[in-house]
Order: sequence, then structure tokens, then C-alpha cells
Amino acid sequence: MKKNDILSGKKPLNILEKIKENLERLNDKMEVMIELQRHDKKEIQSFPDASLDVMTLLSMPDHLRKTAMTICRYGRATAQEIANQTSRARAVESAYLNQLVIMGYLKKERVGRKAYFFADRDNQE
Amino acid sequence: MKSIIAVHSYKGGTGKTSLSVNLAASLAKRGRKVAILDLDFRAPSLFSILKMEDSNLWINDYLNGASTINKILQETNGKGLNKGKLFAGLANPSTEAIRDMSAKDRKWEMRALGRLLSLRNTLLKEQNFDFIVFDTSPGLQYSSINAIVSADLVIVVTTSDRSDVNGTSRMLRELYNLFEKKTGVVINKILDANLDSKKEELNKRAKEVYQVSLLGLVPCFCEVLKSQGNLIFVEDKPNHPFTKIMDEIATRIEKNEI
Repeated sequence: MKKNDILSGKKPLNILEKIKENLERLNDKMEVMIELQRHDKKEIQSFPDASLDVMTLLSMPDHLRKTAMTICRYGRATAQEIANQTSRARAVESAYLNQLVIMGYLKKERVGRKAYFFADRDNQE
Repeated sequence: MKSIIAVHSYKGGTGKTSLSVNLAASLAKRGRKVAILDLDFRAPSLFSILKMEDSNLWINDYLNGASTINKILQETNGKGLNKGKLFAGLANPSTEAIRDMSAKDRKWEMRALGRLLSLRNTLLKEQNFDFIVFDTSPGLQYSSINAIVSADLVIVVTTSDRSDVNGTSRMLRELYNLFEKKTGVVINKILDANLDSKKEELNKRAKEVYQVSLLGLVPCFCEVLKSQGNLIFVEDKPNHPFTKIMDEIATRIEKNEI
């Protein structure tokens, strides 16, 4: 069986998939670190029960508002899906989305290789 | 093109509800399936204009998560709508409901925004509505900003009143621009008797002041005031000049020429 897997290329493919997945996770973590460093940590305030309501959207800087508005409209999306809408680079959207997660406005969930971002409206009681 | 339209204004009494109802009726008259929702929870009036005073299901219930939108929308029996359909979602006019809606917190408003946003899927996609018209409350408050954020097009109704002009242009700069919303202005209740000859000049001036597309200039028609809210001109007076202006605006919305 194992020999067959190697011969058919399944095993190397699985290993490569795993490497790619781990690299993406690393990339996400680095983006968060870069954001934190860029804003000297103190600037990004975290509000444990922050709500992404319209007044919050109004008070956000333009670059974050654009990302947050798109997430509001989609409900749940990956950085790539948001980037397709905003015509900005995936890495840029990923950084903004992670910043919104740190600030407490969005939640992040991993499903396999993909990271989904969403405003947790239903659990806000 | 299917779309969600929010009708808003800086001040009250500019004619938002009248314009919303007539535009919705004009779109329905062309065979479209239209829903008009009263989001003015502080001063609900759609139930009265549409003479649907016996209702017991309200948009308030939908936003509170107590009912689905299907149970709330009621078909109006408008005249001359041909194959078109006009549905209404009414705001609860009872004092208790108004008090309840004005005491909502940020978390509730956030969930309400989610419910308004989901109408795009429920009504436009699943139930094949062509247009949703939000009649909002004036000024900057949660319910109206929620409606603006959820809409594709914002129609701002203004008058020539100095404070209204100032407030509207500020709102355009500081609200709609920030949300990157497609916006059109309708100047209502124009008192100038020589409007036809001054149209060009008024158009130019409005574009300079508001810097957005001018959707319509509506003179102050005595017949509209005299009807005391008892008539929906697009349905009841199809040949009236007011109806003609509403039809022109509806055509531009339908063709997406804003």
C-alpha cells in the first residue's frame, strides 16, 4: 500500500499540502505580529465585548472600514474573498482582518487550510 | 438590476415617506416585485399612508428575531399595479413599541444590521423581489445608518431650507462618502413658480452644493398637500405632474442611471 501511495504520488502530495497549510498558518501569525509591531501594541486597543455596529464602522479609519464593511456584507469570508471585493492584495486584507480580530470586532475560525473571518452577531447577548 | 434603496434625509418632514411609497408604487407599476419597509421606528407612518392600520405583525418583530420577514410582509392592494406587486413591512406605531425601539443597545443594533443585510439573500435572491425600499428615520441614528449600510443606493430627500441644505451636504460628506454609497439627491417642495425655466440653473447649483447625482426636482404641488396623505399619487393620479416626476426617478433607478 505504502509503496503504491508513493508511486502514485499521493504521499508526497499530502506532505506538500501539510507544508503549505503550516506555512499559511505561519504567515497569518507573522501578519498579526507585524500589525502589532507597526502600531506599537498600545495603539490597537482590544475590547473584549466590542460590537461591529454602524457607529463603530463610522469611527474606524478608512482602510479598516472598507474591510469591515465587506465582512458585514458577506457575513463570513476568507481574506481572498474580501480581497476580490476590495481590489486590494490578499496579504493586505489578511493583515486588516487580523487587526480587526485583535481589536475584538471579528472572530476567526480555521476550517482545514482556510481561515474564515466573521462578525459574531449571534453570540452577542 | 435588483437593488436595495434607502430613502433618507437630514431633517424630518422633507417628504421621505411620500417619495418612498410613490417610488415603490412606480417600480411595481412596471411589473416589478417590490417591498417597502418602514424603518422609521420613532415616527411610524407607512401603516397610515397605505391604510393598513389593522396589522399586528411588524418589522420590529423581524429585527427582534421574533418573526421571519415572510410573515411580516403584507401585499398592498394598490391600484393600477398591473402585474407588479407591492408588499409592505410596517413599523409598530404603539407608544410602547416606540419606547422599546429607542432603548435598544449597540449589540441589538449590530444584530439588527445583520438581519437587514440578510434581506438581500432572503428577498432579492430567494423570493425574487426586484427592489426593496427602506423608508428611514431622519438624521444620524442607528436605524437609518443600518439601512444606509445595507442599501445599494441612497436617495436623500432635501428641501431648499437653509438648515436642511447645510445638514444634507455635511451628511453627504461625513456619512455616505465614508460608506462609499451610491447616492442621489431629490430636492422636494420647491416653491419657485418658474421651475421649468430655472431647471438648468437649479441642477447646476445642486450639483455644486451636494456634489452627487441630482435625481429629481419636485415642485411643491398644492394638490399633494391638499390630499393630506390620503392619496398615493402614482396609483391614484397617474397623469399628475408629481407622478410623472416619480416615474422619471423610477426609470433612472431601474436603468441604473445614477
